[in-house]
Amino acid sequence: MPALIEDAGRELRRIVRINEEIKTVVARAFKTNLMAMNAIFLAKRAGQSALGFGVLSNELRQFAMDLQKQMAQLREMTHGSVAKLTALLRQARLSRVFERTRNESTGTGRMLIDEFMKNRQNTADARQSEQIAAHNRRLTQMIADTAQLAELGGVLARSAKIEAAYGGPFSAALTQVSSDFERTIGEIQHSLSGLGRQQVD
Amino acid sequence: MKTARVIYAQGDHRWLVVARDPSRPSYLIDTNEYLVAVGDDAILLDPGGTEIFPAVFSALSTEFDPRKISQIFASHQDPDVVPSLSLWLEFNPQIKCHISWLWASFVPHFGGSEETYVAIPDGGADIRVGGQRLQAIPAHYLHSPGNFHLYDPQAKILFSGDVGAALLPSGEDALFVEDFDRHIRHAEGFHRRWMGSEKAKRDWCNRVSQLDIDMLCPQHGAIYQGTQVKRFIDWFAQLEVGVLRG
Repeated sequence: MPALIEDAGRELRRIVRINEEIKTVVARAFKTNLMAMNAIFLAKRAGQSALGFGVLSNELRQFAMDLQKQMAQLREMTHGSVAKLTALLRQARLSRVFERTRNESTGTGRMLIDEFMKNRQNTADARQSEQIAAHNRRLTQMIADTAQLAELGGVLARSAKIEAAYGGPFSAALTQVSSDFERTIGEIQHSLSGLGRQQVD
Repeated sequence: MKTARVIYAQGDHRWLVVARDPSRPSYLIDTNEYLVAVGDDAILLDPGGTEIFPAVFSALSTEFDPRKISQIFASHQDPDVVPSLSLWLEFNPQIKCHISWLWASFVPHFGGSEETYVAIPDGGADIRVGGQRLQAIPAHYLHSPGNFHLYDPQAKILFSGDVGAALLPSGEDALFVEDFDRHIRHAEGFHRRWMGSEKAKRDWCNRVSQLDIDMLCPQHGAIYQGTQVKRFIDWFAQLEVGVLRG
């Protein structure tokens, strides 16, 4: 029996933890989007001295929207993980009943069930385990890609902080906004590294 | 371990019952499964829950090649009636399952595809097994709102699902009813509680009274035969049903 089946409960709890982290990141991405809209208006009020800050705020807004899309895909993948794991568990349960049937049968019945189980074992279980493993590899890759996207967000937030220093009379307000960006994106990066660890575990 | 016994044989037309499982866990109600075989074709009636599949499969295999089971008849949707369908479908994905139209979109939660199910209309239907015509007889609300029994006019056997069922104490494990008065005491409480409609009961009694029945085969308990069949129908007709106590 594949090890994954024996650890199915652990696997389901892992998926639940991933979903919780996804929810956290989605909330932070939404917050980043709102903050970026406010920052764009603030940069417009600041005028010529905050042109660079305005460009970076636009980029941060785009980053937040890209991140939201990425998280929606991740959520779909974890739903897929649950569906695949459920199918594997169902197969495993059926396998256990067929094993009992084999033990209780004699003569023709034993021969038929032996032959049936041999064919079944070679196909269903192995194929489904491999599908789950492949799905997990894709999930790991997508989390890594999202972490890279968050790196970009971090860079944008730091650049916005530098640009804020040139904001003239608006400098203090822009610095405050860019610090908020930095903190929120830092939280996103923290959640994503947690997701990465869940996958490794 | 369950055993399969032939209760009717005429040429290549046979009825088998898989009954009495003393080794089953005590928390599971005991069930009877029936197989109607005609030549190289067969229909399995109320195949039972997943837990008893090993016992049913192994018992049937001693008397009949299970690869030749092409159809399943489910009297209704209950957990002791039809969930093992998913295992039979693993074994033979071509099996068709006849069930009330009312349950035809619920029972697929146990397994199978759109092609698996043959929905029986409320008025009943003929089901062909080999060259033999069997009849799905309406028994709605006894106890399920979409409920059928199966009549074999050639063998004069009526599979009656939960009607006629008796919850027998351990030790009383005869296949056929021996002492009607003693036996029916084990059926009374079950019928009062599980059969919810007086009107449905009267309809059923009128309907089956017109059939020529040598054996009445319930899903639980012993089989009624000969004059016991009419006695049972008369007893059921006068029993007050749909009550908690009585």
